[in-house]
Amino acid sequence: MKKLICCLFYSALLASGQIPGADPGHPILLKGGILHTVSQGTFTGDLLFENGKITAIAPEIRTTGGYEVQDVSDRHIYPGLISAGSTIGLVEIGAVRATRDANEVGQIKASVHTERAYNPDSEEIPVTRSNGVLLVQVIPQGGLVSGTSAVMMMDGWSPEDCTLRSDVGVHVNWPAMRINKAWWEKRTPEEQQKATNKNLQKLEDLLKDVRAYAAAKAAGTQKGTDANLEAMLPVLSKEIPVYVHANRLAQIEAAVNWSLKEDLRMVLVGGGDSWRVTDLLKANNIPVICQNPLSMPLRRWGKYDEKFTLPAKLSAAGVSFCITTSNTYSNQRNLPYEASMAAAFGLSRDEALRAITLSTAEILDIANRAGSLEVGKDATLFIADGDILEIPTRVTQAFIQGRPVDLEDKQKKLRDKYTEKYRRLGIYGSGK
Amino acid sequence: MKRITAIFFILAAVWTQTAPELGLRDRTPRVYAITNARVIPEPGVVWEAGTIVIRDGRIENAGENISIPEDARVLDGTGKTVYAGFIDLDVETEIPEREVESVSRNWNPGVHPEYVSGDTPFDKKTLKALRELGFTTALSVPNKGIFRGSSRLLNLADSAPENALDAEAVQWVTFEYGHDDKGYPGSLLGSIALFRQTLYDADWYTNARSIFEQYPENNRRPEIDDALEILADHLSWGFPFCFNTTNETDELEMIKLAREFSLNLWLRGSGYEYQRAGEIEAANFFLILPLNFPEAPLVDTPEQALEVSLADLRHWDLAPENPRILQEHNIRFALTSSVLKERKDFRENLIKAVELGLTKENALAALTTTPARELNVDQLLGSIKKGKLANLVVCSGDYFDRDSEILSLWIEGRELKINEMPEADIRGDWTAILKDSTRYTIRFKGKISTPRGSILKDTLSVDLEGVSYQQDRLAFRFEGSSFALPEGYYRFSGTVSDNVIAGTLTDPSGIGWPVSLNFVKNDEEQEQDTEEPVTQSELTVRYPEGAYGLTELPEQFDALLIRNGTLWTCEPDGILENTDMLIEGGKIKKIGRNLRAPRGAKVIDAAGKQITPGLIDCHAHLAERSVNEGSVAISSEVRIKDVLNPDDINIYRQLAGGTTVSHTLHGSANPIGGQDGVIKLRWGSSAEGLFMQEAPPGIKFALGENVKQSNWGDDFTTRYPQTRMGVDQIIRDAFNAALEYEQKWDRYVALGSTARKKTIPPRKDLELQALVEVLRGKRMVHCHAYRQDEMLNLIRIADEYGIQLATFDHGLEAYKLADAIAGHGMGVTTFSDWWAYKFEVYDAIPYNGNLLHDAGVVVSFNSDDGELGRRLNYEAGKALKYGDISPEEALKFVTLNPAKQLKIDSWVGSLKPGKDADFVIWSGDPLSASTRCEQTWIDGKKYFDIEEDLVLHERDVAEHNILVQKVLAQEQQGRNREEGGSR
Repeated sequence: MKKLICCLFYSALLASGQIPGADPGHPILLKGGILHTVSQGTFTGDLLFENGKITAIAPEIRTTGGYEVQDVSDRHIYPGLISAGSTIGLVEIGAVRATRDANEVGQIKASVHTERAYNPDSEEIPVTRSNGVLLVQVIPQGGLVSGTSAVMMMDGWSPEDCTLRSDVGVHVNWPAMRINKAWWEKRTPEEQQKATNKNLQKLEDLLKDVRAYAAAKAAGTQKGTDANLEAMLPVLSKEIPVYVHANRLAQIEAAVNWSLKEDLRMVLVGGGDSWRVTDLLKANNIPVICQNPLSMPLRRWGKYDEKFTLPAKLSAAGVSFCITTSNTYSNQRNLPYEASMAAAFGLSRDEALRAITLSTAEILDIANRAGSLEVGKDATLFIADGDILEIPTRVTQAFIQGRPVDLEDKQKKLRDKYTEKYRRLGIYGSGK
Repeated sequence: MKRITAIFFILAAVWTQTAPELGLRDRTPRVYAITNARVIPEPGVVWEAGTIVIRDGRIENAGENISIPEDARVLDGTGKTVYAGFIDLDVETEIPEREVESVSRNWNPGVHPEYVSGDTPFDKKTLKALRELGFTTALSVPNKGIFRGSSRLLNLADSAPENALDAEAVQWVTFEYGHDDKGYPGSLLGSIALFRQTLYDADWYTNARSIFEQYPENNRRPEIDDALEILADHLSWGFPFCFNTTNETDELEMIKLAREFSLNLWLRGSGYEYQRAGEIEAANFFLILPLNFPEAPLVDTPEQALEVSLADLRHWDLAPENPRILQEHNIRFALTSSVLKERKDFRENLIKAVELGLTKENALAALTTTPARELNVDQLLGSIKKGKLANLVVCSGDYFDRDSEILSLWIEGRELKINEMPEADIRGDWTAILKDSTRYTIRFKGKISTPRGSILKDTLSVDLEGVSYQQDRLAFRFEGSSFALPEGYYRFSGTVSDNVIAGTLTDPSGIGWPVSLNFVKNDEEQEQDTEEPVTQSELTVRYPEGAYGLTELPEQFDALLIRNGTLWTCEPDGILENTDMLIEGGKIKKIGRNLRAPRGAKVIDAAGKQITPGLIDCHAHLAERSVNEGSVAISSEVRIKDVLNPDDINIYRQLAGGTTVSHTLHGSANPIGGQDGVIKLRWGSSAEGLFMQEAPPGIKFALGENVKQSNWGDDFTTRYPQTRMGVDQIIRDAFNAALEYEQKWDRYVALGSTARKKTIPPRKDLELQALVEVLRGKRMVHCHAYRQDEMLNLIRIADEYGIQLATFDHGLEAYKLADAIAGHGMGVTTFSDWWAYKFEVYDAIPYNGNLLHDAGVVVSFNSDDGELGRRLNYEAGKALKYGDISPEEALKFVTLNPAKQLKIDSWVGSLKPGKDADFVIWSGDPLSASTRCEQTWIDGKKYFDIEEDLVLHERDVAEHNILVQKVLAQEQQGRNREEGGSR
């Protein structure tokens, strides 16, 4: 019975390829699934959604007419996973310049907005959502101030359809503060220090300029519009945070002090050394986006599992954090395994799941819409045949704001195409 | 070009033998006797009151109690110490640009062994710096190239022509690359390959020339090549070949190369020898050692200290011990003042090395007798002995005492003043009565020529400023207010004579009156005056040096029993629960239930744990000092095995993820790349110890965007090939050339002995030889490829030339071609799910591995990346995610299957009696993303343990702290010293 429903459901979509989902126009009741609510624990029960919102969650919801009931017993239901930091939709093929739209020219480019260049037909999008990653913060790259990010839903007809929230934050790449002694660094230590100081000065000057701009606007004396300063106004007024990308101790300390001095809301991204300054981060309520735990220690003499254990250390110290994967575009689907490794190295499994759902939503200011299975939130969720932190688990269904998502993708089509080739050649038996 | 056959051509002492004299002849008698000096004629011998008689540049006589010739000028050496002139064997000299193209030079601009350095004298700055350290003689070393040329030994006197001591000595080799824009070699790999090819060419060349001279009608005329000719001479003379090195790994590689060609090996050392002193001792060669002790790392702030690696801190602490450690290993070495940032630091570093245990005798030998003997000039140089050249160093005291000064050098009987010696040693206490009718003490310390001083009354002491002592004139000043004298500077100038310094003291108002300083006593505290005693480093050398290095290599147990584990055998037995595994002598002996532990066996309880074979990474670039020779399209002559780096921390990190074997490959910049290496991750061993000896040789090929330089930018559009069509052609062309080469050799070998004498043999070509091995199935082809068209084409080429390909590496579109790949009988080693980073991987799919597996192809998942390579179990998990496959089969993607692809499955890849005991103990299901690797074993030795890792980490963090403290303390000492003004 369960299988039958799934098959019917799929066949309707398969016929039309990866077409954005449409609201079913009626309530859908997912019955008997293992509900990973994140906010209220995990239990077996029912979940009802309608008009894009979750309307009920309970161990048992009574069926009435007009519901589409789907038996999902033994299946796992999760809120959509959220990636905090990717260039998906901005880059299609890294090596092909014409397909790269993530890195505008210049050092200060606060005014560029990622959602405005987002390609909703990127082939990477269906691949990403097919493993339950349904929301992605799309971030700009390069320079000292890279631009302004947005949270995108992994389905929709147009960039506007896909945008869950624009103006999520302005991204700053904190200047390197370390004297690099690698053979390929041609600059002297003095020159490096000078370059660092120059960049730090640029950041200071930018904030002075923004303040002057705000004052001039308030006084009615500002002539014309300055795009970058304009984009910084919501940062100054603390409406949105500044996302500071920094990994090393000196950078983190400098960035925190800068945000305090300038009175800004700050989110630390990367945060490789953040475990060394948990008191500072906690005291100032600075959350950390742990960027790919599946990466190397920062230094040769670092412990091999330095990044694996970072989330557990932040958790123990009471620093708010979430986990994300590397900020590329093509393999965001592997987001859950970043959390799995953290779970193997000290983080509880519940926290690991929270770190890629609700914690991320909280940091990105979208927790009213996403991140957990709760009444009133968007029905952005997926159904899997097992624990999503385990690699073999497969996602069988997904909904974004209640709209069923086509889980086909370019890769599955190619698989099917060549499976057919080998079937015709007789290499695969009838079973394949 | 013919060379003088006597290698060390000794010149007579009189140099103006051939040049006509102009003007009046200079016939000044040059006969001297230095008397009453402390003479160190050779290391370990002291004449407290020695005499040296010098006549016309030679030492006529030397000893204690010898008679002084009547015609000698007597120079009183009382209080002075005299050594034989020092010899520096490595002083670089610029090779001038060639103005005219030579018709007979080697094709490669880095190969110019025929160049002789020393035709031009040293520049003035170098000359001055060398002399100030006591060097009277130095070997002029050419400064660029691979085969750089040979050296002349030069005296360091002023007039150039008479300085040359011999014709030529030592051929210098450096593995340089990348200087000639885009030219070959572009990497260390290529540089070593060129070195080997050139020596083979030299061997072939002499033979070819001599056969051609006898039988010109039968043979193609060999080109004229000065480089090959001189190299052949140098080889046949047993001439030293001296290699410049940058670290100990380099040195061990060069020892291997020297063996291949039976070279008389010299090494210009790196300062890192202590890290592999045992191996260096065993190789028994001659070392020219620099004293390049590193500067203290920047650790002023905790953030800065964090960025300094433990390896750098340890090297800072251990490097000054290097000479002592080499001494303990009986390694023959001379010292050079080169490589240092500032040549003048040489003496201070040498004194430091002596304080740390290098004996003065050995230090002196390394400056005098050893270099003279190794250069074969010990009849002339190296000691103070009748008949030798009068090359001497005259010091105000012991050379190894910081306060002593070099006063003069004698070079072939002529004296060169270095530091003017004042008339007298004023160090000690003097008294004077000043205008206030009070007695003051004036105390001088420090060096004779640059004393520092203070003026004292009762308990008060004020430093003297502006102390100047020239010839017999002494001047200084001091501030008077501390002594209740009128405020301002009191200035003294006077003349030094025996026990009295008579002069004038001028007070702040400008009025002077006579003051005499009267000598009281010598400076007794001079010895105690120096700094804190130097202590030897407390560190023990690790393998490899730096964090996570081992002080002792892992233990090999006679017998080892792993009890009650869940064994993933990767054999038909599948997964066995509650099973024991017995290991003896590094091999798996038995697998079964309730095995009996042999007596004395080490037993490990693995209840609740799961055990798999060590993971095998079929495509990595691990532990490489050089990855790609990218300057040419065909580089089959280069070998990864020449450039392994056993210090790569990623070896340890791979172990921490259960990886035990890596196929470490040349890069993918060329259709035909370099020869590969299969390594076992034996952390702590030398480069040579990493190799898996049983692994058959292979070679990297590559197709597609990388080899046609698609993503290299606009500067790279001219190298053939630029299209996949061209890739096809260049590979075929290379195979055709290899076939031709093979036929040439076959024809030559088939000749009768008489015919062979008259025929020039084919030249040994390392590039084509590797391809002949491919054609004959003796070298496996691992081909980097992405698109189905290029893979299909390579299969067709292989079929045509009768080659069995081993693997497509990456092969991301291999799923489109499973039939042809299975048909060819080759494997595919792929990424589990990478895609879209360039155009040729846009059709990559994570189902690739499973689709191929289902079609009967042997499939593995690889990393190509140090980070991914430490969690290959995650990759195996993806085989489960993207296909219908059992967990056992999925695990084989990173164990047995790569072993099969590398043809090492007789030894590794599964848990089976008889195979190597390479295994991993996991905290749970190895395919679960929540499982940790707890222990990793290779050959029955434990190379990683998650608990011991913590111990090592804590050890390293603590040691890092201690060393940072030591740096800070020494820096403070240094500052104190500078403020004290002693040096």
